[in-house]
Amino acid sequence: MYAFDYHRARSLEEALKLFATLDEATFLAGGHTLLPTMKNRLAAPENLIDISALPELSGIGMQGGVLRIGAAMTHHAVAASSLVAETIPALAALAGSIGDVQVRHVGTMGGSVANNDPAADYPAAVLSLGAEIETDRRRIPADDFFQGLYATALEEGELIVAIRFPVPETAGYGKYRNPASRYALAASFVSIRDGAVRVAVTGAGKNGVFRWEAAEQALMGHCSASRIADLRPESDALLSDMHADAAFRANLVNVVTRRAAEHLGGASIV
Amino acid sequence: MTRAKTSAVRKASDSAPDIAWRWDDAPPDMDYVREALFRHIGKPVARKEDKRLLTGKGRFTDDFNLPGQTYAAMVRSPHPHARILGIDASAALAAPGVLAVLTGVDVLADGLGPIPHNPLPKTNFDMKLSAPGGGAPFIGPHLLLPADKVRHVGEAVAVVVAESAAQAMDAAELVDVDYEELDFVIDALDAASGSCPSVVWDEVPDNVFVETHFGDREATDAAFARAAHVVEASFHIDRVTGVPMEPRAALAAFDAESGKYTLYAGSGGAVRQKNELAEVLGIEPKSLRVLSFDVGGNFGTRNRTYVEFGLTLWASRRVGRPVKYTATRSEAFLTDYQGRDLHTTVALAMDAEGRFLAMRADNLSNVGARCVSLSPLSKGSGLITGSYDIPAATLRSRAVFTNTMCTQAYRSSGRPEVTYAIERLVEIAAKQIGMDPIELRRRNMIAPDRMPYRNAVGQVYDSGTYETNMDQAMALFDWDGFAARREEATARGMLLGRGLANYVESSIGSPRERAEITVLPDGRIEVVIGTQPSGQGHETSFAQVVADMLGVPVETVTIIIGDTDVVSVGGGSHSGRSMRHAGTVMAMASSELLAEARRRAAEHFDVALDRIERDGDQYRVAGTNHTVGLFELAALPSGPLAVARTNEMHTPVFPNGTAICEVEIDPELCHVEITRYATIDDVGRCINPMIVHGQTHGGIAQGVGQAMWELCVTDPDSGQPLAGSFMDYGMPRADNLPSFDAEIAEVISPTNPLGIKAGGEGGTTPALATVTLAVLDALAPLGVTDIKMPLTPNTIWRAIGEARQQEKGVME
Repeated sequence: MYAFDYHRARSLEEALKLFATLDEATFLAGGHTLLPTMKNRLAAPENLIDISALPELSGIGMQGGVLRIGAAMTHHAVAASSLVAETIPALAALAGSIGDVQVRHVGTMGGSVANNDPAADYPAAVLSLGAEIETDRRRIPADDFFQGLYATALEEGELIVAIRFPVPETAGYGKYRNPASRYALAASFVSIRDGAVRVAVTGAGKNGVFRWEAAEQALMGHCSASRIADLRPESDALLSDMHADAAFRANLVNVVTRRAAEHLGGASIV
Repeated sequence: MTRAKTSAVRKASDSAPDIAWRWDDAPPDMDYVREALFRHIGKPVARKEDKRLLTGKGRFTDDFNLPGQTYAAMVRSPHPHARILGIDASAALAAPGVLAVLTGVDVLADGLGPIPHNPLPKTNFDMKLSAPGGGAPFIGPHLLLPADKVRHVGEAVAVVVAESAAQAMDAAELVDVDYEELDFVIDALDAASGSCPSVVWDEVPDNVFVETHFGDREATDAAFARAAHVVEASFHIDRVTGVPMEPRAALAAFDAESGKYTLYAGSGGAVRQKNELAEVLGIEPKSLRVLSFDVGGNFGTRNRTYVEFGLTLWASRRVGRPVKYTATRSEAFLTDYQGRDLHTTVALAMDAEGRFLAMRADNLSNVGARCVSLSPLSKGSGLITGSYDIPAATLRSRAVFTNTMCTQAYRSSGRPEVTYAIERLVEIAAKQIGMDPIELRRRNMIAPDRMPYRNAVGQVYDSGTYETNMDQAMALFDWDGFAARREEATARGMLLGRGLANYVESSIGSPRERAEITVLPDGRIEVVIGTQPSGQGHETSFAQVVADMLGVPVETVTIIIGDTDVVSVGGGSHSGRSMRHAGTVMAMASSELLAEARRRAAEHFDVALDRIERDGDQYRVAGTNHTVGLFELAALPSGPLAVARTNEMHTPVFPNGTAICEVEIDPELCHVEITRYATIDDVGRCINPMIVHGQTHGGIAQGVGQAMWELCVTDPDSGQPLAGSFMDYGMPRADNLPSFDAEIAEVISPTNPLGIKAGGEGGTTPALATVTLAVLDALAPLGVTDIKMPLTPNTIWRAIGEARQQEKGVME
């Protein structure tokens, strides 16, 4: 780790001001990607602005039929929220499947979404549910937000304040973990809202989270796993690494999507 | 995870004249030792060390700090093989806080020697390996820093010493090394091909530096010629690493006034570190004190000397201040001594009834860039025939250099490799001749009345009831209930499979051990011993042994380890040697202490020696009420009541057993769940069953880990290690393992006074085979007949796919 200065912001305004004035500054939320990267000397921010305690980024509540979750809410807070469990139980199950107990008590939803790791869980839920990313300056639809590996629509210094999830009729999550990292080797979030099926896949795509449109069409009108029994995404668009080649990932995407469809209202985590 | 059951105690087999411990030759007070067994021995006494460790009071290397200490960081090679053309340290030297930058040129200029690894196992009973054509093998000098070329990714080429750890790391990035990249080789088969463009050492142009043939070639050839059936298979038991929880660390100090060096460095034995590092530095061993107290995991990884230990010592003299180094987890993955990496081709000849006639084996060990240890190759070589009576065998054992990190004896050195080979071969043989694999094993297992049994390559198995192990393990596993369980799993769409492996392993280890026992007037007994626990509970189990022998409560006995100013001789802890060697020498020392105590009691009461009777720790004049206690005797003016005893013991023992694994495979995800694991382990005399069970459980996890997840993946195109963190190196976890059904079989070894064999490694030895065979059994209905470790989902998916393709090919 290289030397850096640490700043703990007490308000959104202060955080933004710090970012505007400090050199080589980076926001720090749960730090579960940033800190290991810094420890491996692969990132060298001069200034860290801790946003984990900003009141504006806190809280879970309903706003006109939309479930709004503050960006600084930990995975544990989401997993343990009775409101999330009542409205989108698959989202609570997803949050409860991230990492381990320690990770879930420190890692945050906003941090995960902003980082857009190709194997992270939240992007699948955000994209499938058609959520909006509420920042300090605008709202960004999920379909426009994720722009490839670790790339998002966020501008320099733009901070996620909350994620706004429209409540679906139902949703399910299917996930198969990488035996080493426990990140998703492949995971699929299937949701139905206003009769439309949306399938978002994480862990598998070369460009990070993606909507699997062929599966959405096949499931439209009747969200039954049997309708995608033989459907697989194109291997060309999938990741290939020491844990899973693209062809195997194509198989896994099929399996986890079917399991998500079989577990609407919950999740299948292996 | 623990479901320990009561021990199944079995009768000792007949002792053999040539390997037996001779009670009759022992001094008379050894009878006390014999009678004293077993008030504490055999009981699950709670671990004395746990409170200290669990409350953060352990003393691990990085916990120590010295006034004015500085910090070292390594500059490591990014290339698998490259000539060092030059090193420019000027920018690093100019960086803030930097005190020194040392390179291989400085190592040569200061006359530092290579680490004297002494890789050939050296007891009278070890398999003797030699260079091709005979003679001592060239092992590749292991200088603290190379001056000529780097031979693996991660090799340290320079050390930076600075005021802070961060400054040292920052400056290390500024050291400019000019490399000329060379051809490299990663896999042992490529390296030994005879036409490999990469020559790791010019002294060994074909990279093969060990080639030894064992066994009776004529008899083997004759048996193969008359065999009704022959099976052959090739396996690669791939590279893994130990991943101890505590990364390696060193804190060195040089005192210019006395000329003495001090090194805090956790290892598998401080005495070895002291002797080898003294040789590197060119100093008398007495000028170096090594301290190794609590050690956070070893598994063989820590038994050999590391360059960083020598570098901190040398640097502390150069900068005149203490120097500390603590490896990062990345450095641990890159440069901890690694394990396994054996290519083996095995063939088995059978008669028409499935009786084993002969075996051929060809083993090739990848030692990495230098030879640190030949223990894995040697140990495995002696056990190629496993638990089976195979009258004739030949074996070619070779070792080869490659551009990879050095390998070392790793958890059950060499034995899981050959157990995997023989057990898989036996299954293949059963399939080929259409016999039940259990029946085939039964037909060929070594019977108890053959003990001691000399195998076809000359190893003498001391004792054991192998077939009984198998029967008991099958009962424990509920072997007969498998069909019903499989039916139930099939109904859920799952594939159930089971795999059984018999094993025998050798525990030899460094032959010398020393015990010093002192009785203190305040009611304590101190025992100094040269083993080094890293979680094995020596402080408890050793105390049990001494407490039994001296007739005192176990709480009064304290075990002292790890400081070479106190511990003068000691073989350390490896190869399952500790309890056997320490137990034996502690028994000998105890008997001497008892004799001395009796002599003092007689003197105290002024009576003849034969009038003194002993009851526990009380000494009484026979027929009177005159008694004196052991601790009172220590307080008498005749001086400290203390003894020291050194023992050398070469005779190996052969722990053995049977393990069975059951797996359930989700054929869609290709996910493997281990649903059942049973094991019977003959450890000889069991001192503390709780501790032995704990070690067995850990051993199983480590073996299962290699079978299922662990692999040091190297990119063949770039030579770069790819599994450099826990993100990519899969570890066994509690939630991936079932509750184990482990039972201990105590077939007393005739080779030592306590009858000890060894425990713990027996969990690892058969596990590679049991898991693989279980997975193959589960996948058999899909036509899968072969698969390689680790058994990851992708590997299983590919195996199923290939089997389908083949089936299709056959149909067409």
